[in-house]
Amino acid sequence: MTENAIEVADLTKSFGGVHAVDGVSMKVPCGERRAIIGPNGAGKTTFFNCVTGRLIPNSGKIFIFGKEVTRLAEHQRVAMGIGRTFQITNIFPKLTVLENILLAVQGTKRQKWVFHRSITSFAESQARATEELNRVGLAHRVSHTVQHLSYGERRQLEFALALACRPRLLLLDEPASGLSPGERQRIAEIISQLPRHITIILIEHDMSVAFGLADQVAVLHRGSIIFEGTPDQVQANSQVREVYFGDV
Amino acid sequence: MDWVVQALNGLSMAALLFFLASGFTLSFGLTRVANMAHGVFYLLGGYLGLSAFKVTGSFWLALVVGGAGTIAVSYLCERYLIRRTGENELAQVLLTVGIVYVIADIALFIWGGDSLTIPPPAFAEGPMDLPGGMVYPKYRLLLIVFGVIVGGLLWFLYKRTQLGAIVRAGVDNREMVNAIGINIVRLFGLIFSLAAFLAGMSGVVGGAFIGLYPGAEWEILILALVVVIVGGMGSLGGAILGSLIVGLVDSYGRWLFPELAHFMVFGPMAILLLFRPSGLFGREA
Amino acid sequence: MGSRILFVVMIILALLAPQVLDVFWVNTLIQILCLGLLALSVDLLLGQTGIFPFGQGAFFAVAAYTVAILQVRLGQPTYLAAPAGLAAAVILALVYGLAVRTSGVYFLLVTMAMGHIVWGVSVRWVALSGGDNGIGNIPYPQIGSFVIKGASPYYYVVLTVVVLCMLGYRVLIRSPFGVTLRGIRESESRMRALGYSVGAHKYVAFLISGALAGLAGVLYVYFNRLVSPSTASLHVSVEAALMVIIGGSGTIFGPFIGSAVILILRNYVSGHLVQWMTVMGLVFIVTVLWAPDGLLGLVRRIRIKESGRLRQKGSRRA
Repeated sequence: MTENAIEVADLTKSFGGVHAVDGVSMKVPCGERRAIIGPNGAGKTTFFNCVTGRLIPNSGKIFIFGKEVTRLAEHQRVAMGIGRTFQITNIFPKLTVLENILLAVQGTKRQKWVFHRSITSFAESQARATEELNRVGLAHRVSHTVQHLSYGERRQLEFALALACRPRLLLLDEPASGLSPGERQRIAEIISQLPRHITIILIEHDMSVAFGLADQVAVLHRGSIIFEGTPDQVQANSQVREVYFGDV
Repeated sequence: MDWVVQALNGLSMAALLFFLASGFTLSFGLTRVANMAHGVFYLLGGYLGLSAFKVTGSFWLALVVGGAGTIAVSYLCERYLIRRTGENELAQVLLTVGIVYVIADIALFIWGGDSLTIPPPAFAEGPMDLPGGMVYPKYRLLLIVFGVIVGGLLWFLYKRTQLGAIVRAGVDNREMVNAIGINIVRLFGLIFSLAAFLAGMSGVVGGAFIGLYPGAEWEILILALVVVIVGGMGSLGGAILGSLIVGLVDSYGRWLFPELAHFMVFGPMAILLLFRPSGLFGREA
Repeated sequence: MGSRILFVVMIILALLAPQVLDVFWVNTLIQILCLGLLALSVDLLLGQTGIFPFGQGAFFAVAAYTVAILQVRLGQPTYLAAPAGLAAAVILALVYGLAVRTSGVYFLLVTMAMGHIVWGVSVRWVALSGGDNGIGNIPYPQIGSFVIKGASPYYYVVLTVVVLCMLGYRVLIRSPFGVTLRGIRESESRMRALGYSVGAHKYVAFLISGALAGLAGVLYVYFNRLVSPSTASLHVSVEAALMVIIGGSGTIFGPFIGSAVILILRNYVSGHLVQWMTVMGLVFIVTVLWAPDGLLGLVRRIRIKESGRLRQKGSRRA
């Protein structure tokens, strides 16, 4: 039986009087590539934060791989196999690139509690770390501190952190934002080459990246889903065009 | 009967605590600066007031000099030292601790190490007869009355004036107040001065009650912090309620369990902090 | 490589010290080591984990008082009293560790209050602690029939323990656990999103820190042979924090360098200047405003400037 990667039922999250997420229901089957688009403030990042557990919703239920996680702590959900990027780069500024990746690799492993051996002595983690750095092209920066990295390199590292723990579910929050066209191309390529069993949910503003990668697209506006369909269907839908492009 | 006496003790303590805590909570709530020097301002205000009293014999002048002198010192510290730390909370704590060491040591040099008090004004001296055959120091009763007056004034300022509205908005959302175009630097300066004045004034007032001695700068600070933590940072109502709770608990605690007196006050505070870090009325941190 | 040679040189100097210095300075060195260890315990939380404790003195004092009570009041031998002191500190840390549920300034204030409780108990519970007079006449430490009497012998004991702690600390901060703590310091939210239970790690770090502080207390009480409420006062915790800042946070040597600066200031300057507390306060202020990375940070900055200059020279030649 193939369960859904994510199932969200009637999710609501309010701040004061503002319903950032307003009664959202969504099912994402395993292996699907789904894009979530919508104007600024539509509630996309808030939705991610509820799914990963960074925020507790006011009402509704969340299921990940068939298990209800609505009240489960963030780090426990992550252990089920979630990797995530943040819209505003959230990495470890004063640590080296290698330390950043190693932290991501050992995040769900028992290894993180070891205090009598050097972190570099764990061969398997080192190998995985090197592999991920190679994938995003940061291997040559391995011993540099993140503070000395360019913005583009930091976004790439952010992306590598999400992949490092071999997630089954990837939540990417505008992974290409602020990148040069060449860097965007690279990220898009990496995403499209990821194994098909990984479910990917992508928040993106760049339509070409979003539509190029997605099987299904959900359009969020003022906290509610106003349309769901294939990229072609979304592009043709007049309501979406009005909300997004403000024209006919 | 004893219970009533202890309650009055607690209330008079609460009044003093309120003077100290209200300044700190408003200051921290708005500026996010945890000013460890708040306790030494109490001491400084008291000592300055004492000197003024020795020269003039006037309690009221002592009050004015104590408050004004503290504002002056506080202004210098804020303008030339604290402002340099930007938003670095850690640096602010350490810096203000350094300021405490300096001021406390200079105070020790000038006023010596004995415990000093400022005699209360003539009309407030001596005991007062209360219904039920009780006798209680007039001064402490007046302190309670004074506390209510100051509390009322602050409440009015805070809730009913435009300045108070701006401060409340700032406590809630600092960036917003800045964006509206209000000179945030001047606002901060004003609040710092108000806090310093309240601290200095309570040194004069409390000097007649608790006394002025080296080491008071830390004990007073901690008591004020407990009140602010219990009541919630940035909440005037919290300062009032917190002062009452801490004052009464301290008073009854000392009376009933002298050996555990400190724990009585701090224990509940620590527990409260762990389960409701924002205090009784504070906003979520 | 350079730092290893430096370390060996320092060890040699440290071993020779009692032979060339008089008792006053040997005693000062012992204090530097004990309080430096306390400062190291602060830095495990501050420099590595990013949380600022303001009450480590509580563990220091609890360990000291436990040793004092056991040896003086109950006549227990050192080999029981010393471990008991350490154990008492750890037990207190198990309870006080709940403080890690708060963060930022609140954590500072909670730990400050917790430290103050210990002070309060030491003043008021006279039957247990001896009140303001404390407990004195603590005997010299004794293992079997071997009594460690005198500054020099005890100095070597303390030196050995402290060096072992420093080596252990070095292993700790290079381990996965250590890197995890630094990750927490840099971004707690990122760590949670990577699957770490941030609270659990902070708690364990707090326990280790409490143990180190307790060990420092045990070492100190046999040196001072007196424990009193001043051992539990806020000053002890504040000074420990100051030592970390002056020496350089996030390093192994920093806390000890800071300890040396503070103790030399205190022991030497106070003999010549009545207002040495003012000097201490000014040192605090100056350090915080103009050298927040401490002395080691200054050294690092100078080294970076130097290597930059050398690199420029080199490239010009090419």
